Amino acid sequence: MYKVSDFDLPILPDGTLHKGGALLHNLLLFGRVCKVLGMDVSPNRMIEVAHALAYIDLGNKLDVYHTMRALIVTRYRDLELFDQAFDLFWRRPTDDWTVLDLPSVGDERRGSMKFLMPAGATPSNGSEDGKPSPQLTLTAIVPTYSQNDILRYKDFAEMKAEELAEARAIMERLPQSLGFRQTRRFEVGKGPSLDLRRALRENMRYQGEILELPTRRLKVKPRPVVLICDISGSMERYTRIFLHFMHIFASTLDQVESFVFSTHLTRITHPIRHKSIDRALEEVGTTVHDWGGGTRTGEALRTFNYRWSRRVLGRGAVVLLITDGWDRGDPDVLRHEAARLQRSCHRFIWLNPLLDLPQYEPLTRGAQALLPSIDDFLPLRNLANLEMIIKELQKINWDARSTPTARQASGMRR
Amino acid sequence: MVQSVDSIQQALNQQDYVAERGLATAVFLSLKLGKPLFLEGEAGVGKTEIAKVLSRMLNADLIRLQCYEGLNASSALYEWNYAYQLLHLRLLEASGAGRDAMEAELFSRRFLQSRPLLQAIEASIAGKPPVLLIDEIDRADEEFEAFLLELLSDFQVTIPELGTIKTDQPPVVIVTSNRTREVHDALKRRCLYYWIDYPSFEKELRIVRAKAPDIEPLLAKQITAFIQELRQLDLFKAPGVAETLDWTAALVALDQRALTLDVVAETLGVILKYQDDIDMLTPDALQALHQRALVQAQDVQGV
Repeated sequence: MYKVSDFDLPILPDGTLHKGGALLHNLLLFGRVCKVLGMDVSPNRMIEVAHALAYIDLGNKLDVYHTMRALIVTRYRDLELFDQAFDLFWRRPTDDWTVLDLPSVGDERRGSMKFLMPAGATPSNGSEDGKPSPQLTLTAIVPTYSQNDILRYKDFAEMKAEELAEARAIMERLPQSLGFRQTRRFEVGKGPSLDLRRALRENMRYQGEILELPTRRLKVKPRPVVLICDISGSMERYTRIFLHFMHIFASTLDQVESFVFSTHLTRITHPIRHKSIDRALEEVGTTVHDWGGGTRTGEALRTFNYRWSRRVLGRGAVVLLITDGWDRGDPDVLRHEAARLQRSCHRFIWLNPLLDLPQYEPLTRGAQALLPSIDDFLPLRNLANLEMIIKELQKINWDARSTPTARQASGMRR
Repeated sequence: MVQSVDSIQQALNQQDYVAERGLATAVFLSLKLGKPLFLEGEAGVGKTEIAKVLSRMLNADLIRLQCYEGLNASSALYEWNYAYQLLHLRLLEASGAGRDAMEAELFSRRFLQSRPLLQAIEASIAGKPPVLLIDEIDRADEEFEAFLLELLSDFQVTIPELGTIKTDQPPVVIVTSNRTREVHDALKRRCLYYWIDYPSFEKELRIVRAKAPDIEPLLAKQITAFIQELRQLDLFKAPGVAETLDWTAALVALDQRALTLDVVAETLGVILKYQDDIDMLTPDALQALHQRALVQAQDVQGV
């Protein structure tokens, strides 16, 4: 274990001993900033950073930057955020104190936190190399809580382009898993079965007397997810945001299969996985030929069952069907195929953008045909819905109602 | 035998396996380059069969590893025999052996149980490379795939207590997949890949004739034509070659000389295994299908 007092105090370029307290203080503050921004920062990690900084020339801002970046950032997607935070935080103060307003992210860190910008902690020759410091504000990336709140309850269909971008940023920060399943593979840990191999090896040191009984438990993994989204005419206002939603899921989760349909079912698993959303949308656009057409949900589900179910529904997949339930196809086909789909997956969930509206009732023939085979019938009209859905799904992980007949008898409806 | 694609194709034919040129080429290259052969295709098109045929053809043992979810090193590669180890431990204790001696004793070869993969490597080391069939890899999980990578590229196994076991003369490896999920590229990259499709009419007829030499020539043609027509329908599960052969055997067992509508209706369960598919064949649809098959069989010249 390190103690803070163990470290040599860094020497500033002009030869004076830096007031170590201030640097350490600011460093820890910066660590908290990074943590709030969603990076994986622990106190231990910050101690390592402090330790590492003792080995480099603090006068060289670039070295300091790379040291911190190497130790603090562990995921590619955090790099940009870190760069911005670093520029903002360690810039030479204009006034004695600057107030940096960093809004919170995520549920548990609601409300805004205020950080004091460090004074005098910035190396003196830091920003004098002629490089203009970029005018970036963190608020552009993470909306403040109050904005956030309005946005959370705003109908997706009424969002303007820049609001969509913000909504997307919020979606990206939601936990991206729809529950876990037990695999049949074991890992070390407390569990009901003995790990004989380890028992033998570890008890070697007691001259063969078996004193310790190591156990193992079943590993868990995120469930595969299948997204089937309606892109027919009646869904037009929502299509864009739902494609964003599918893109986020497809790019952050391992096993996601994506499909869209109006008159035909099209698999867009590969096109939607493109890193840039614009490229992804472009490719999806060229793959899909029935944008804004009529809705034949039954036919689409039939194609899914016949062509794809065996390849994508293995290992307890969760199926999310996004549609408003306006269907012009044959309700008998829909009833039959929906029932088959429910029997072949872990959970069959209908997300309906209209469900939250007070005047909406699922009375259309399509909705009536679909409902008996649905495990969960949930609204998806705004971000708050989405948060609720993900929370709900993570809760029902080990639901006992797993057999299809039991599920068909008692769906969770709302 | 392993001189040219032609010789492989002939040898496969001699074993009653009707192979297309592409498959014969893939098999030839696999044997020449010592690379595993990765076979994909619908259920029942003869993926597993090729391993059995190869083992007969090369006069080598067939070692089969059936994959399933959760398959791990202790069931695929090796496992220490804990019960014997514990028993032996008691004996060693009584004899007052030292710690090092004890460990050396306890983790020696005699307490190691080889599973299919290690068996294949050991047999290769002994100079008799077997045919190793890794069946339905898509049923295993990603962890197992990753585990196979080392084995398939280097044909070596490291057992911490014993050391590395390596062979320079690798076994013939056949990996099959029904594509219930995509197998990782890294694994495919180490293999030769071949997609086995449903056979053409001519090829399927030859398979039927090869497997049932005593069958009425007309019946063989009718069976093949019916199955070929059936595959054109929008079925949940189209019948594979395995179903064709089962059906042939069933019809021969029923002493049929020609395909009649009644018998087709009665034995439909041999070729269609989903209620939806059977429901789709209403009496009218079945009659039309039967009629088309008979006409097509009539049109085929020769035997």
